[in-house]
Amino acid sequence: MIRHLFKLIWNKKKAHSLLLVEIWASFLVLFGLTSLIVYNVRNYREPLGFEYQNAWAISLKSNEDTTELAQKIEMILQRVKAYPEVESASRMSNNFPFSQSSRNNGIDYNKKHVLADFYVTDENYAKTMVIPVVEGHWYRSADSVGKYSPVVINRKLKEELFGDEKPVGKIISERFKVTGVVNTFKSKGEFMVDKPALFELVDAKSPWDDLLMIRVKPGTDAVFEAKMVKAITTMVAGWSVEVDHLTDSRKTTHNLTLVPVIIFLIVSGFLLINVALGLFGVLNLSIAKRRGEIGLRRALGATGNGISQQFISEILVLATFALLIGLLFAMQFPLMNVFDIQAGIYLTAIAISVVVIYGIVTLCALFPSRLAARIQPAVALHEE
Amino acid sequence: MLTNYIKIAWKVLLRHPFYTFITLFGISLTLTVLMVLTSFLDHLFGSHYPETKRDRSLYVMQMRTQDSTRTGSSSGPMSFKFLTEYAKSLKTAERVTICTFVNSSNAYVGSQKIKLNTKYTDADFWEVTEFDFLEGKPYNEQNIANSDLVVVITDDFKKQYFGNVAESVIGKDVEIESIHYRVIGVVRGSPVTRPFTYADVYYPYTTPKSNYQRTGMRGGYVAILLAKKTSDLKTVRDEFQSHIARIPLPGVEDGYKYAYVEVKSEPYVENFVGTLNGNKGLKTVFFGIIAFIMLMLIGLPAINLVNVNVSRIMERASEIGIRKAFGAPVRTLMWQFIIENIFITLIGGGIALVLTLIVIQLINSSGIIAYADLTINLNVFLVSLLVCLVFGLLSGVLPALRMSKLKIAEALKS
Repeated sequence: MIRHLFKLIWNKKKAHSLLLVEIWASFLVLFGLTSLIVYNVRNYREPLGFEYQNAWAISLKSNEDTTELAQKIEMILQRVKAYPEVESASRMSNNFPFSQSSRNNGIDYNKKHVLADFYVTDENYAKTMVIPVVEGHWYRSADSVGKYSPVVINRKLKEELFGDEKPVGKIISERFKVTGVVNTFKSKGEFMVDKPALFELVDAKSPWDDLLMIRVKPGTDAVFEAKMVKAITTMVAGWSVEVDHLTDSRKTTHNLTLVPVIIFLIVSGFLLINVALGLFGVLNLSIAKRRGEIGLRRALGATGNGISQQFISEILVLATFALLIGLLFAMQFPLMNVFDIQAGIYLTAIAISVVVIYGIVTLCALFPSRLAARIQPAVALHEE
Repeated sequence: MLTNYIKIAWKVLLRHPFYTFITLFGISLTLTVLMVLTSFLDHLFGSHYPETKRDRSLYVMQMRTQDSTRTGSSSGPMSFKFLTEYAKSLKTAERVTICTFVNSSNAYVGSQKIKLNTKYTDADFWEVTEFDFLEGKPYNEQNIANSDLVVVITDDFKKQYFGNVAESVIGKDVEIESIHYRVIGVVRGSPVTRPFTYADVYYPYTTPKSNYQRTGMRGGYVAILLAKKTSDLKTVRDEFQSHIARIPLPGVEDGYKYAYVEVKSEPYVENFVGTLNGNKGLKTVFFGIIAFIMLMLIGLPAINLVNVNVSRIMERASEIGIRKAFGAPVRTLMWQFIIENIFITLIGGGIALVLTLIVIQLINSSGIIAYADLTINLNVFLVSLLVCLVFGLLSGVLPALRMSKLKIAEALKS
C-alpha cells in the first residue's frame, strides 16, 4: 500500500514539489516558534528562588560627594532599618533582581572553570529577599575571618563545580569559602534560564555596592516612600536616591521577553492559517481533477472510506517527505548546540512541530477527501 | 490591452470567492506585516520629532578604552569636560550639544509616586533638537551660567504632577528628590525609542547631581554633532577624529591603564547597530536570523500563492488554448498573467494599507511605546509598493510560465 502511494506521489513529483517546499517551510517556522515557547515555558517552571512582593530597591548615587562613602551608606542603612514599616533591610551590589545590570566572573575549583553571576550582599540578604538556604547557612559578617571571604552558591553552580560532593566548607577560586547553598536564583525574572550564581559577603568598608534592598510591611504606600526619600536626601546632601518596586521592575523585564514572543506567535499563527487555507485549496483542486480515477476505483468496489483514506495517506506520505527534509535542518540545532540551549528543548520543539504539521495536513485533507468519497461512480465515469 | 487584462483578472477573482479569499488573505497579511515593520524601522531610524535634523547629525555615544595588549576593554559614556574639550570645540559643525543619556528618578505628589526619566542638557540641546514648546521657553546660557534651578517638563509629566489642568504651569514649583525647581517650559514629549532626546524632565547641566564637574574622561554624557548640511557629515567626522587623535596615550582612568582610545561619531543607524554588540560573530547570527525570518515571511505566502495559482491552471485552459490558436506568442501570454498577478497583489496591497493603518493606530494608542508616532509616510509607502511589485512578480512568474506552455490541442480538448 505504502509503496503504491510512493509511486503515485513520485509520478506527480513536479506538481508535488511546491507542496513539499511549503510544508517544509511551515515546519521550520513552527520549529522556531515552538523552540522559543518551549524554552521560555521550561524556564518559567523553575522556581524564582526569592519573593519580590513588597521588596523595594533603593539606589544611592553619591555624585560629587567623595568623603566617607562607606560610613554614609551604613548610616543610611541603619536609618532605613529603624522605620517600623521596614521589616528587613540589606545592602548589595547594583545588580539587584530585575535590574538591567549584571556582573559575572569565572570560578575555579579542581580544574573546573565556570562562569557565574556575582552578587555582593550582606548577611541580611536571604532574610530580606526570602531565599531559602538548602544546605549550610547564609553567611554572617562574623564568618569573614582569615583570608577567605564567605560565599553562598546556588544549586546550579554546586552541580557544575562539585557534582555529588558536599560543597559546604570547600574553598573555591582560592579566595572564597562556601558556607551555604540555595536552590535557584533567577534574578532576571521567571523567564530567565537558571544560571550559576554566587553571593559574596559585602565589605562594609568599601565605598561601592551602594544599593539597599528593603522589605516593607504589606500595604506600605508612596507616602512612606516620599518620607523615607526625603529623610535620606536630607542626611546626605547632593546624593541621588531612587526607589524601584520589584513588582514594577518585574513587569518591565517580563515585557521584554513576552512582547517578542507574542508578536512572533501572532505572525506565525497567521502564516500557518494562510498555509492551511492554501493547502486546502490545492487538495480540493487536485481531487477534483482525479474524478475519473475515483469513479473507476468506486466502480471496481472500493468503499467511500477506502477512497478518503487513500487521499489522506497520500498527503501524509508527502508531509513525511517534507518533514524528513525539515528534520535534516532542524537536527543541526541540537547537534551543533546553537545558542547554548539544551538539546532537550530543541527535541521537544521538533516533536511538537511534527505533530502540529501532521495535524494541520490531516485537517486540510479531511474535507476534500470526504468530498471525494461521496463521488458517485456512474456520474464520474459518465463525464469521462 | 492593459484594461482588458485587468478586466479579465477581475472576472477571475469574482468567479471563485473562496480562492480569491485565500489569495487576498495571504497577500494582505504578508504586506501588512512588512508595512508595519517598515513603519517601525522608520520610526526607529528616520528623522522624526524631536530629532528632525537626524539626517545631518552625528551621535557620539561611547568611549572605548583598551589596554596595551588589547585583551580587555571598557566602554561607556563620557564626562562633560571631555566632550567640551574634544566635541564642543569642533569648527566644522553648526552646533554641538552635550547631554546625559536617560537617567531615572522619582517624584511624589500626595500619595502618588511618579517614575520619571531625567536628562541634563546644555542650552544648545534645544537648537539641535526641535521640540514643540506648548508653554514657556527653553533655558538659555544665562540660566546655565547662574545655575538656576529651572526645568523643562513634558506635557505627560505635567498631567501626572499637576493633574489635568488647562492653565499654564510656567513658574510653578516641582519637587524632585528634595530639590525645588521652577518650571520654565512644557514640551510635547519624545518617544522612548529615541534615547538621545527622550525624558520627562530636562535640567540645565549646572543644576545639582548632574556630575558635570567630573574631571576624568568617562562620565554620564553623550553628544550630538549637527553638521551644516548632509554633505558635511564626513568633514565633521574627520575633524572629530583628528581631535580624538590628540588624546595623550597611554593614560590611566580610575586605576585602569589604557593604551588605545576609540570614540566614534556616527549617523544614528550605524550607532544603533554598533550598540547591539561589538562581537562580529553574534552580529552575523543576529542578521542571519532576521534575514531568514524575512525570507520565510515573504517566501511562505508566495509559495502558497504559486501553489494555488498553478493548481488552478486548468480553469483557464480553454481561454489560453483559444488565444494560442489565434497566434498569441508565449511572451504576451506570460505578460498577461504577470500583469494580472500584479493587479491582484495591488488589491491585496490596498487592503494591507488599511490593515496597517489600523495596526499602527492600535500601537500608537495602546501606550506600549509612550509617544509612539508610527506613520505611513511617503518612504514607507514607496517601500511597501516596491514590496508589492516584487511579491507580485515572485508569485506570478511560475504560474504564468506553466500556463503559457500549455499545449494548444490539450488545452482546447477540455
